[in-house]
Amino acid sequence: MNRRPGFLVYGLLSAFVLGSAFPLYWSFVIGSVTKERAIHSPPPLYPGGHFLENARRVFDQIDFWSALANSIIISSVSAASVVFFSTLAGYAFAKLKFKGRNAGMAFVIATMAVPTQLALMPLLKEFSNLGLAGTRTAVVLPWLVTAFGVFFMRQYLVDAIPDELIEAARVDGCSQIRTFWTVAVPAARPAMAILALFTFMHTWTDFMWPLLILQGSDVQTLQTALDQLKIAPAGGISDIALLQAGTLLATIPLLVLFIATGRQLVAGIMQGAVKG
Amino acid sequence: MTTVQAARSGDAGAPASQAPPRLTRRQRLSHWDYRFAPYLYVLPFFAVFVLVGIYPMVYSGYLSFFSWPRFGPHHGDSVGFANYAHVLQDPVFRKAFWNTIAIFLLSSVPQVATATIVAAMLDTQLRGRTWWRMSVLLPFVVAPAATALIFGSLFADKTGLINELIHAVGLPKIGWHSDRFASWTAIASMVNYRWTGYNTLIILAAMQAVSREYYEAAAIDGASRVQQFFHITLPSISPTMLFVIITSTIGGLQIFTEPRLFDTNLQFQGGADYQYQTLTMYVFNTSNSSTDPYPRAAAATWIIVLIIITIALINFGLTRLVQRRSER
Amino acid sequence: MRKSNIRRGAALGAAVALVAGMTAACGDSESGGGSESKLGKDDVLTITTFSDFGYDLLIDQWNADPDRPFTVKHTKVADWDPWKKTLTQELQAGHGLTDIVAVEGDAMPQFVSEGASDQFVDLSDSSLDDRWVDYAYQAAQTADGKQIGYPTDVGPEAFCYRADLFKKAGLPSDREEVKPIFATWDSYFEAGKKLVAALPDTKWYDASGSIAQAMLNQTEFPFQTAENEVNIDNPEIQNVWDTVTQYSSTLSPQVVQWGEDWTANFRNDGFATMPCPGWMFSNIKSSAPNVKGWDIVDAFPGGGGNWGGSFLAVPTQSEHPEEAKQFAAWLTDKDQELAVFEAAGNYPANVAAEEALAAENATDPYFNDAPTAAILASRAAAVEPGHPYKGDKYSDILGLFQTAIQRVDEGSSPEDSWKTFVQAVESLS
Repeated sequence: MNRRPGFLVYGLLSAFVLGSAFPLYWSFVIGSVTKERAIHSPPPLYPGGHFLENARRVFDQIDFWSALANSIIISSVSAASVVFFSTLAGYAFAKLKFKGRNAGMAFVIATMAVPTQLALMPLLKEFSNLGLAGTRTAVVLPWLVTAFGVFFMRQYLVDAIPDELIEAARVDGCSQIRTFWTVAVPAARPAMAILALFTFMHTWTDFMWPLLILQGSDVQTLQTALDQLKIAPAGGISDIALLQAGTLLATIPLLVLFIATGRQLVAGIMQGAVKG
Repeated sequence: MTTVQAARSGDAGAPASQAPPRLTRRQRLSHWDYRFAPYLYVLPFFAVFVLVGIYPMVYSGYLSFFSWPRFGPHHGDSVGFANYAHVLQDPVFRKAFWNTIAIFLLSSVPQVATATIVAAMLDTQLRGRTWWRMSVLLPFVVAPAATALIFGSLFADKTGLINELIHAVGLPKIGWHSDRFASWTAIASMVNYRWTGYNTLIILAAMQAVSREYYEAAAIDGASRVQQFFHITLPSISPTMLFVIITSTIGGLQIFTEPRLFDTNLQFQGGADYQYQTLTMYVFNTSNSSTDPYPRAAAATWIIVLIIITIALINFGLTRLVQRRSER
Repeated sequence: MRKSNIRRGAALGAAVALVAGMTAACGDSESGGGSESKLGKDDVLTITTFSDFGYDLLIDQWNADPDRPFTVKHTKVADWDPWKKTLTQELQAGHGLTDIVAVEGDAMPQFVSEGASDQFVDLSDSSLDDRWVDYAYQAAQTADGKQIGYPTDVGPEAFCYRADLFKKAGLPSDREEVKPIFATWDSYFEAGKKLVAALPDTKWYDASGSIAQAMLNQTEFPFQTAENEVNIDNPEIQNVWDTVTQYSSTLSPQVVQWGEDWTANFRNDGFATMPCPGWMFSNIKSSAPNVKGWDIVDAFPGGGGNWGGSFLAVPTQSEHPEEAKQFAAWLTDKDQELAVFEAAGNYPANVAAEEALAAENATDPYFNDAPTAAILASRAAAVEPGHPYKGDKYSDILGLFQTAIQRVDEGSSPEDSWKTFVQAVESLS
């Protein structure tokens, strides 16, 4: 609606944004007081001065840096792989005519509704038999390609490349692969970046499958390391100051990514919506 | 031979009546290129997808008809539909089903409603528009595991902030973990926290695609802002709502991280009375149990897949129906 | 079957090769097992324990020794239950466990049972046969005499109590004078009613679950018959259930043992007594370092009882079974079990260590200078070996039983909760 909003709208929006930020603030409050203070009534409302101390205890407790490295590796491999396969297939579905195109696309859309990752859990033993349990390879395997990726690229490329451009390239005698490189890839670049960002975040935040396949392993992702922090502070005593400090530390990488790419993320979500 | 080919590939646009042009070697190569290249583009995707997506599904289906010896490396004898019977008769599975549905409803309905309202507020001439949009998306970068741990602390039964506040105003503390409905609410609030902003942006995009002329015309007719919202905005964005609802169905019915990390029960069974065990937790726990673990988990997986597809279809049908009504 | 395995392998294998290419450079941790190799000084032997085994100092010293045969890496998990889940799952998977694993005594029966015991290395050594108290040593033996664990400690139970709160409530508080309170379960609960009447913010014990555990430890066949048939319809278990659920709303803080709220209760006078095997001492100290007033009484309602006591075992998936066995034997030798008692309070299963403790008459300033060694020795003498009988499903059913009690604490009716418990036990098989 094309109007200048009043104070009410600004007020409500501010309340919504403050509400969104509050849990992070709370995490910092608890993560920056002593473990005794953290469970003492009334609860603390302002940050204390013990965040670094709690952070140090997090590093003692879990192998934070190795978990961070694993999360980066796994998410990057997944993002690169999804973008690669999806751009190729998405371009073909969007712009090329071939037998079985409609059936293939229908298949991709249908499988978007099927939770294929669920079916991996009963295969736990098969992964073990292949020596894959507890490896990064096993974690990234289900995220190498996604039906959503193909769908997303196809939706984008359908409008992004005029058919005449491809026809012109063909008349010029360009081979298919050259057309792909010189016409499709440059046009797809913004969508590729957004898909990479989404896939990266998605794999990064994945919890269930890594939790199952990495049980008892030295290899952990940031998310499963948090689970260890929850159930495994040494001495057998639950310690929420430690837990919240760890939670915040594990959130910082994505916060940084958000600050760096927030505009693209917003644009990507809004663009995807109109196309979808 | 070449004539036939040229005629068949209609997109070349060469009328058959004309004298057949002699194709150079290069052009012939190009023909082959154009016929087969599309397959080369989609094949890598399908090859990998079949391996890591379809094959596990099919193999799980196969596994669901066998037994599994304790600590054994491979499946045992075929047992027919016994694993499906076990899962369907298991009271825990039924409980998990209703928990999942309830958590899903508690998370999707308020979420879509809030997202629509916030989107309507963002769909104005705000100062610092980009800043506002980024701000509502902030919770999206907090991973579900982190969200669950933060909210778990807020919702702690005795020492949590929320119960302390409730207590401070003189009301009795709520058993966020022990009471079934309260535990659903707590878990749903984690989902809502993370996804409301995301869906706000999707709905906002749909709102902005609505032509401004409609609003101007309505304003001239004297329609209030609220009337405009209900008669112009809502009908126009309903396809997007459909998209939002279906995607949240598929994700919402697989909810795992939040209830798992919210759990204080030492057996991780989703509360002492399974009051917030979800379907995915059921599969996870079954894969880790000692009696026929993998076949039973496989049977449960397939039952859940059918449930999700059914609900997604119902959702789709209902929304289409509502949409058609509103279009009339 | 064989064939389909190969095909399955090939399919996943192809996908793996693809990914492995991408991640290989990062050096995935190697997998597999079975192959043995000799460890050098800087090679690492791994061990996982739960709660507090008191090994920190010992392992630091081991690793600081320039003449050590190998280096040890110690992983600590907070609670037994999640570790049991991981342990069971990794045994099933045949991959992922450390060279040495700690096993809680209640779960030992399921690991010595047929099928499961193949997953562990035989640690038999005739020179060690008299090293530990018989009942603990035999608990880790299979029917055909294979030894799968070395006992780390036993859990003879005393009672820990808050003398300061007793005094406030008008109860006797002296270590000798409180003995009549802890003579029988009836006298124990009667005193509890008095205390909660006098101190409205304090409950009598730490959790319903720990009293249930204490009473269970005095039964003979709580969950399974001597033939390992599941039988939960018997008067012994019924008595425990009725008693604990009856007092849930009056004497219990209704919190889950080991949880956040349970821990908080240590600091805000949430309860006044708790069953206390030696290993509980360190839990109390680390939960309430600043609380003064804890004491230990040499008495236990209804006789004695053993709670917990653990083992070190070596899974066959370990690549260094010889070194693992050697290190497990070292950790459970006299001097090491004495050091553990010093560090964490875990009462030794090692006979020579028990004798040394009795002679040295150790006291603990945190517990008002209670003669901890003498009390635990006296409590150990009161333990009836073989009580309770632990069948192969003991640990699983115990977990479900504790959960059933949690349900009553959270407001279910005892009848409903019992029904759910029976259903859950049935679906174990």
